[in-house]
Amino acid sequence: MSAALRPSRLRLLEPVMLLWLALIAALLVLVAGPLLKMVLVSFEMQETGEFTFQNYLTAYGRQRYLDALRNSLLLGALAAAMSVVIAVPMAWAVSRTDMPGKGFTWAMVLAAFVMPPYLGAIGWILLAGPNSGWINVTWRALTGATEPLVNVYTFTGMAFVIALHSFPLVFIFVKSALDLISSEMEDAANILGGGTWTTMRRVTLPLVWPSILGGFILIFLETIALFGTPAIIGIPARINVVTTQLWQFFEDPVRVEVAAAYAIPLLLITVGLIAVQKLMLARKGFVSQTGKGGERREVKLGPWRWVLFGWCLTVGLLAVVKPLLVLLQASFAKAWGRGFSLDNLTLRNYRFILFEHDMAPQSVWNTVWFSAASATIAVILALLVAYIVIRRLMRFADALGFLAMAPFVIPGIVMAIGFYAAYAGPPLSLYGSGLLIILAFAARFLPIAYASSQAAMRAVHPEMEEAARILGSGRLHAIRKVTAPLLKTSLLGGWLVVFIVASRELSAAIFLVGPRTRTMSVLLYDLTEQGNFEVVAAFGGVLLVITMVIVGIGMKLVGRDFMLRRE
Amino acid sequence: MPRLTLTGLTKAYGRLTVVDRVDLTLEEGEFVSLLGPSGCGKTTTLRMIAGFVDPTGGTISVDGAVLSAPGAVVPPERRGMSMIFQSYAIWPNMTVEENVAFGLKLRRLPGDEVKRRVREMLAVVKLDQLAHRYPAELSGGQQQRVALARAIVVKPSVLLLDEPLSNLDANLREEMRFEIRRLHDEFRITTVYVTHDQAEAMATSDRIAVMNQGRIEQVDAPHLLYTKPRTRFVAGFVGRTNLLEARVEGGRLMLEALDLGPAAAVAPVAADGPVLISLRPQAMTIHEAAPDGPATLVLPATIAERTYLGESWDYVVAPEGTGLRLRVAAPPLEAHDSGRPVWLALDPRQVAIVA
Amino acid sequence: MFLIDRRQMLALAAWSAAATKAWAQSPLTTAEHALYDAARREGEITWYSGQYSADASEAAGRAFTARYPGVRCNVVRSTSQVAFQRLSQDQRAGVAQCDVFSSTNGGHYIQLKRQNRLMQFRPASADGLLPMLRQADPDNYFQSSFLGIYLMAHNTRLVSEADAPQSWTDILDPKWRDKLAVGHPGFSGAIGLWALQMRTMFGPDYLRRFERNKPQVGRSSIDPVTMMNAGERGVGVAVPSASTLFAMSRGNPLKLIYPTEGVIAALSPSAIIRNAPHPNAAKLFMEFTCGPALSIAVRELFNESIRPDVQPPEGSRPLDQVRMLAPSLEEAERGVPEVREQWREIFGV
Repeated sequence: MSAALRPSRLRLLEPVMLLWLALIAALLVLVAGPLLKMVLVSFEMQETGEFTFQNYLTAYGRQRYLDALRNSLLLGALAAAMSVVIAVPMAWAVSRTDMPGKGFTWAMVLAAFVMPPYLGAIGWILLAGPNSGWINVTWRALTGATEPLVNVYTFTGMAFVIALHSFPLVFIFVKSALDLISSEMEDAANILGGGTWTTMRRVTLPLVWPSILGGFILIFLETIALFGTPAIIGIPARINVVTTQLWQFFEDPVRVEVAAAYAIPLLLITVGLIAVQKLMLARKGFVSQTGKGGERREVKLGPWRWVLFGWCLTVGLLAVVKPLLVLLQASFAKAWGRGFSLDNLTLRNYRFILFEHDMAPQSVWNTVWFSAASATIAVILALLVAYIVIRRLMRFADALGFLAMAPFVIPGIVMAIGFYAAYAGPPLSLYGSGLLIILAFAARFLPIAYASSQAAMRAVHPEMEEAARILGSGRLHAIRKVTAPLLKTSLLGGWLVVFIVASRELSAAIFLVGPRTRTMSVLLYDLTEQGNFEVVAAFGGVLLVITMVIVGIGMKLVGRDFMLRRE
Repeated sequence: MPRLTLTGLTKAYGRLTVVDRVDLTLEEGEFVSLLGPSGCGKTTTLRMIAGFVDPTGGTISVDGAVLSAPGAVVPPERRGMSMIFQSYAIWPNMTVEENVAFGLKLRRLPGDEVKRRVREMLAVVKLDQLAHRYPAELSGGQQQRVALARAIVVKPSVLLLDEPLSNLDANLREEMRFEIRRLHDEFRITTVYVTHDQAEAMATSDRIAVMNQGRIEQVDAPHLLYTKPRTRFVAGFVGRTNLLEARVEGGRLMLEALDLGPAAAVAPVAADGPVLISLRPQAMTIHEAAPDGPATLVLPATIAERTYLGESWDYVVAPEGTGLRLRVAAPPLEAHDSGRPVWLALDPRQVAIVA
Repeated sequence: MFLIDRRQMLALAAWSAAATKAWAQSPLTTAEHALYDAARREGEITWYSGQYSADASEAAGRAFTARYPGVRCNVVRSTSQVAFQRLSQDQRAGVAQCDVFSSTNGGHYIQLKRQNRLMQFRPASADGLLPMLRQADPDNYFQSSFLGIYLMAHNTRLVSEADAPQSWTDILDPKWRDKLAVGHPGFSGAIGLWALQMRTMFGPDYLRRFERNKPQVGRSSIDPVTMMNAGERGVGVAVPSASTLFAMSRGNPLKLIYPTEGVIAALSPSAIIRNAPHPNAAKLFMEFTCGPALSIAVRELFNESIRPDVQPPEGSRPLDQVRMLAPSLEEAERGVPEVREQWREIFGV
């Protein structure tokens, strides 16, 4: 073909190609690099770097290590099951019935979501310590019993505390799926003779089964990656889990190789779970896509609606109100064990944390800055990836999307060890710098940003942008001037959610912080080692206030349910 | 005793009345359509029959037993009816077989009977090869058949269909129309069918109730509805028509100067005075030369406009000496040029006086 | 005023102001002078601290910053084992962040010295330490900076003085089942020393028998104090005297028990890390640590003074009246990891 007949190469080249390449590089650095490095390191001899299986032998060579693995799996399954039991009735009630107090239920779910799990754990120690917890003290006073009613220092106690702060994820998943079911699906069962309960059991819930399963798996993964609660409750309860065991491998001498080998099964389990999920859901269809005629009516429950409301109320009390109350009391107490009395009140704990503590203001700043930076990175990356994937601009666009979603199913602690292995030491030597944490957070929460960007991007018709391009605007210019403004609200919502979850992240941070890069969550954890719950509670209060401000801004700018919305 | 009776059925949301004193009776085995434009209250009526919506006035009874009255409504699951939804509402997480068996299992029939009846039913709707498929693996028409099978297999006292064909493409829609009628002829289930598509209603129904603004305008057999509309709305909604102002003078129906014959032949009682008549485009024919025949009125006219519609010509014809402009349908081969003088033959039996 | 105990607040403010002021204003010694300018150019010092409690560490950091304006002390307080873990992570990553390292587990220093990771430095102020603390290391790679007394305590409401255990072996009695609380040698250096000392004195079976009484295991040696404050457990094992006295000062019904065999004394050093990013500030910090300023700052929070010229804290038994038990640093280096591993096998965590 003669050159004259085709446009010159220069005109074919979009400068934006370079950006796409940069994007791929960024995803490789953030997601693929750490994981790959971790797998490699798990086969390396410490110091010499020779190939070896010894790390695996060390990692699984002891009964205690295997027990920790088993405990983690059990804990994950139990916490996930409890979350499902807690959340599914709530989601059903809010989405499909005429239960009263839906606003209250929303608020409770949101609050439980925002509350960092380790704070909840401390709250529950104050509530359900076998001898001194308020619940048990009250119980003994009322009944004269000598045995405690509840004991947080047990396997089920720990799983329950975890579930109380994980269930919002199941709630969000299931509710958004339920919202998509047209009432006709239920009507069809009604008219064939199915009452409300039969219909719920045999039609409605099975239809959202994938969301329930998805929520279950996610909480399972989050739980086995959880560090704070097992350290705070698990050690006194004498339950060793994978994360506390991984922490031990970081004792001197730091054995990253063994830790990596020990973390690999978590990855395999994740892969396995996702395969099982695929298998279970194989041919079936679920939430109906035939949205037409999808009028939704509230199922009338009669007196049962009060029963359901009672359930939501109980969950709200247990997950939010009670722990918050005892934390608040402790934060203003001279000695929390002395209970509610005027002469026990003090502001000293707040004064100490705000004005006398050397690291606390620094950690507040670190938290805000790391969270904001990682949220920004995650949202920008996610937006660009979503753009490529949705507009199908490149041949391997789906691979990009996959990379962006992958951290969703990688336990946070595995991610952190990968980051430590890949970037903490030479050649980059990022350990102790804020960048390491920012990158780790950005990678860890990329899927959240990606999900919201993707949904938002779908809603913007390509013609909007094409109209700008035909008028001579370059692609990037068009994105900046047309697409991005249309997405503004969704992007802001995604940014805020990443900010909030990053600001409370502990599991990934604990392995990556240096002396000057401690975040509030890590400092809180360090403070719990001091056994000084009053100060911890006060610092937790500060963290909650910061989060509340952010949530408040989010509600103002993006809408009331921005955290719980899944487009 | 009629199978289904609606008496003064009313539904109001605040001050907005969507169904207004509807009376309707269905004999056992009858197939009645509720036909009307969107928003006319037909779906609300259907959902009241099903028990999904509580009436604010009037009653619904089946076999003489009142099922719905204001403040006392038997829930849908205890009405022994079944329903086919606009979206089919096939449960995507169950196989074809499971979908169809659902209602039978709720009726606690023995397992082998459930199996037998499901098998028979699937054979009737020609889905026996697909029993173990999931809905996502079926075409739209097949899904519709599943919905039919699921509704019919329980032998409901009344079968309700809510715009069941509106999500299908044109060819399939036609096929399913006959399928629905065939199943009705086979099972003789008392059926209420809601649609806005008159062709669908005509093809399937024993009787059609035309609804407008919450009220039933006319209930009649399909051909009577067409030839003898009783209201202006029915005349205009069912098929196309020429609505013309005429007069009754001395018992004779006069369209301008044209004598259409005795008014009593068109409507039972017609006092002298102005009336509105409906004259179907199909009630007139165009001729090059004056035809002869006793029953027809013939008058000279001019072709004013013409449009070719494929299946027919759509002419606008101006009879000489009048200000009338009449739409007339003609078969494709009867082509007449615009401005040409022609003869217009008119069948007075197809004239209807409408209110 | 909103329900603050004004008297307490004023008192607190007064001591901190007075103490810091006094020592901030007292003239710098020659040795301090020599280091100050260079330290000020470095601007800061990062202190990994596992010895003093969070409050006391922060107080010490503030006292340092007040005495040497322009040199900021970054206090990184955690349990000793965790501090050591962070130091190891730094080393593993090849990143130098820590200037001065303080651990209750003296064994850490033997290891660090052997691995050549410490900087040789003897502050002039070390000559004024208590005689037994004066020469922690003949080669001057580390200097004493902490004298922690670890003993038992009981909640007087839950356990009467008459019933309270008197010796380290009393708590092995089954009647103490579900009543004891203790820290964790994987986190706390002092608990490592305690466990090692118990094993040395009472044989390898001690921990196993102790475990049968189901003590509640915290992380820090201070955790049991909290548990006693709350009434969760009646007796705290191997708790630091300082935190217990501090809790008592805040109105908690606790009482110290000096076991008949003696108390665990953590005579713990601090050291400058060889690749410290702020070597001069680190040296200045060592001068400060061994000098009176540190002892003054921490004694207000009931920590033992490490100098004869600074009074011991209120309520603490004078050191010459208590028998002090302590493994040697060499024993600690070898023994603590061993006993920690044994602990994990026995306790499961």
